[in-house]
Amino acid sequence: MKRLLLLITLILSTSSIFAYDIIHPIGGRAAAMGGSSVASQGLWAMQNNPAGMANLDKISLGLYYENHWMLPETAYKCGAFALPTKFGTLGLSFNQFGSSKYNENKFGLAYAKDFGRYLQIGLQLDYLLLKIGNDYGKFNAVTFELGIQSHVTDKLTLGTYIFNPVNFSFEQTLNHEKLPIVFRFGMAYQFTKDFVGQCEIEKNTDLEGVSLRAGLEYEAVKNLYIRAGVQTNPGILSFGVGYGIRFAQINVAAQLHNELGASVQIGMIFSIGK
Amino acid sequence: MKRLVLIIVSLFIVSFAKAQIAIDTLSTEALNNLLIEQVERLAEDGDEDADYEDLLENYIFLSENPVNLNSEETMRLVELHLISVFQYEELQKYRRFYGDFMFLDELEMVEGLDEQTVAIIKPVVCIGKDESKDKITLNKMARYGKHQLVSRYEQVLEQQQGYAPIDDSALLAKPNSRYLGRPQKLQFKYTYNYRNKIRAGFTLEKDAGEMFFTDKVSDTIQKLLGNQYYRGFDFIGFHLYAKDLGIVKAAVLGDYQLAFGQGLTLWSGMSFGKAGAGSSVMKQGRGITPKGSASEYAFMRGAAVTLGAGAFSGTIFYSNRLVDANISVTDTLESEAEFVSSLQETGYHRTIGELQDRHAIRQQIVGGHLTFAIAHFEVGYTAHHTWLSVPLELKPSHYNQFYFQGNQLTNQGLDFKYVKGKYAVFGEVAMSMNYDSTALRPFDGLWAQGPAFAGLVGLTVKPAGYLNFTIMYRDYGKAYQNLYSNAFGEGSRNQGQRGIYLGMEVAPAPYWNLLAYVDQFQFTWLTSQVNAPSRGHDYYLRVSHSFNRRTQAYLQFRSKTKMKNSTDAFVFSHYPIFYTKNAVRFNINYQLGWDIHCANKAEYAHYRNDDGSNEHGYFLCQDIAYKPENKPYSLTFRYAIFDAKDYNARIYAYENDVLYSFSVPALYGKGMRVYLLGKVKLFNALTLYARIGRTIYSDHDEIGSGLTLIEGNHKTDLKVEAIWKL
Repeated sequence: MKRLLLLITLILSTSSIFAYDIIHPIGGRAAAMGGSSVASQGLWAMQNNPAGMANLDKISLGLYYENHWMLPETAYKCGAFALPTKFGTLGLSFNQFGSSKYNENKFGLAYAKDFGRYLQIGLQLDYLLLKIGNDYGKFNAVTFELGIQSHVTDKLTLGTYIFNPVNFSFEQTLNHEKLPIVFRFGMAYQFTKDFVGQCEIEKNTDLEGVSLRAGLEYEAVKNLYIRAGVQTNPGILSFGVGYGIRFAQINVAAQLHNELGASVQIGMIFSIGK
Repeated sequence: MKRLVLIIVSLFIVSFAKAQIAIDTLSTEALNNLLIEQVERLAEDGDEDADYEDLLENYIFLSENPVNLNSEETMRLVELHLISVFQYEELQKYRRFYGDFMFLDELEMVEGLDEQTVAIIKPVVCIGKDESKDKITLNKMARYGKHQLVSRYEQVLEQQQGYAPIDDSALLAKPNSRYLGRPQKLQFKYTYNYRNKIRAGFTLEKDAGEMFFTDKVSDTIQKLLGNQYYRGFDFIGFHLYAKDLGIVKAAVLGDYQLAFGQGLTLWSGMSFGKAGAGSSVMKQGRGITPKGSASEYAFMRGAAVTLGAGAFSGTIFYSNRLVDANISVTDTLESEAEFVSSLQETGYHRTIGELQDRHAIRQQIVGGHLTFAIAHFEVGYTAHHTWLSVPLELKPSHYNQFYFQGNQLTNQGLDFKYVKGKYAVFGEVAMSMNYDSTALRPFDGLWAQGPAFAGLVGLTVKPAGYLNFTIMYRDYGKAYQNLYSNAFGEGSRNQGQRGIYLGMEVAPAPYWNLLAYVDQFQFTWLTSQVNAPSRGHDYYLRVSHSFNRRTQAYLQFRSKTKMKNSTDAFVFSHYPIFYTKNAVRFNINYQLGWDIHCANKAEYAHYRNDDGSNEHGYFLCQDIAYKPENKPYSLTFRYAIFDAKDYNARIYAYENDVLYSFSVPALYGKGMRVYLLGKVKLFNALTLYARIGRTIYSDHDEIGSGLTLIEGNHKTDLKVEAIWKL
């Protein structure tokens, strides 16, 4: 435990060497399933829809790395820690996108609670820091993310997530850059015990149009998952595998864009507890 | 014996389903969802300013005054398109077989009533003895009558240009640059109902911007308005209605609506038209209905009575009311002649110009309807004659030369219906006769006068319980004129139009439902902004699925192609070209536990311009309603974002509103929309509603134009309503 806290402090204090992207699905599983994640559970739900970590039963630590189109300047790093308690799950997260010349950082404090099987609610308070090199300066903003999930039937789970619902922005920047609102909702359908389908729609107010995402996951062998997904706007096909044992999980994904090529994602989760 | 088994089975179901009853039998959720979809389709069809209250009045009345399953009243469910004629027949058959209904859950055993239909009608039916023959006494009326008073206030909180301060001389220079009244809208509605048999009520209304008791209007403006100046409510209406009194089937004094046959000859007020699609293509005239809504256009004011004996029933009516019109005067050598250049339909009297048109001419209508019905067959004849106190002379244009002009119009029509077994055949033929005898008009002699015809015929086949097809053909002559026609069609005019409609409803698997239709139409003459006869089509597909009793989703596609003049600036003569609008919508309703109701909606609209460029519109929303059982309060919240750069790709999204009020705003631009609606029942007789909504735009700093212009990027609307029931 002490070690974990040390690690978290270390991650938080050395933020300047990390880099991160603005809101987009996190985790090797989500990446492999076309980005669909709003109705998923687990540690990475903290970033994708905090309601999904309400039922987490183990103390978990996750690390995630993504490299868009194999460009070092677009590296994307993320760390998260979750602590289940009697009164809900608490979480800490850190994301960074970019390089030393330009980077965006997000520090989050998350909380999620379930109210029976029908309703899980999650909230994350965010502190955002935008750094632009060559003395252009640092800019910050505060906002929050909200999510709900519901297991409406044995097979069907619905989720909704909103980042920055009241449209806060970076006031001090030259162009008064607005933070986007990101609104997504979707569903996960458990076709059989070992086969899951997910789909969702997302609107990011900074981008034209909406993004549709869908993904499939199949537990081919015990604890070994194979996944595939598709996403529109941008059009991406994705594939991945995941392997999980009691205290550790590793998920790897590759996303293919027709013009820009491949991106690689890797995520690891370590958990303590029963 | 059969009866006994049935009762035992029902008892079993009742006790078994007790936990669900509180939700399922009392919740009008299914009915609401049905109406929401239909109202949204209506808005998409272009009737943006439509007064939904007028249309939905009957549904609201029904939800508060359920029909008795063991009486003839069940027909009202067909009239309101909640069940099909086939399902009505099945209900009657069930009653003939097993006797009167004893439990609502028996509905689930009626053949042909699917789960969805049962969910829709359950809250609006009840079980009782047939009381239609009971005597009515004053004593009973006083004791069992229900009184209700609805007061509503609404306002846009930001200042709109029309309410900005202005001095008199500036206003006189530009008299229509301001509204004379204040921005509050007020409405009071009182109704009395005795067992659906005796109904009475009055309605008072003042729209935003209309003058009221307290407004200070300067002397010069009063003088300018002359006798058009008034103080108090702009709209005052009342009705007194009775039904089933011996041979008097229905009688009304005051404001009312009439609906007969397929609506081609006489259907005042609104109807769902194409919006209702599916099983509602065949209309069921509901005869006389009292009108309590505050809509100020398209209704009758006077008296009407329906008498019935045996297979015959007959209605006669007379209406006499003042309507809004723009009066002009022409000087001829002999004298000055008055004429009106248009009839105003909005019901707004806010500016000097609008006030000058207020109640400018008198419209009188007299007519009747005769029905003969035996077993499965029904035939009706309708005739009515309209007088205007001042003749209508439209500003001459090519497209309107067959429109009604003059001051007298006669309409006649013959409708029929045959429903038996798997078939329903229906139709109507109508004729209009224009007695225009006024001054010369540029297009005289081109058949604008004299007789013209219109007709429609349709067939619905139901080969199996889960499947039905409808085919319908319509041909409305280009000179067919009728001020009170509301039959199935494209656009709001039943004139100069031909079309074929093909529809299908099928339940391919349990909990799955599919509705599809194609409507192909031609306009046989020019229409507004279309410089040639034109054509188009309308495709619709909707797939719905129930995951369980409390989780329903649907996916809907709609594609509509119509012709409109090209807007190409380099073309000298504007010729019509095709425009297509496509829309896809996904909607899911679900419940979190018993108390929280949620819905998500995503919609995409696409519009192709004539230069090949495309417009896109997007809309996403989350609805959360907290409605605790057995608690006197509820809260509803919506969070939505939209992104539709162009008006053509606008999105219509129904919003929950205070009771008896409906809103379907058209959203375009880029921004977000939130609203919060609260309801609290203070004590048994008094319920309060309040709603505040705000639209915030991120792409512009001004909202609206002209008199409704708001300087700022947000628009906030507030509504407060009190309902007092006794």
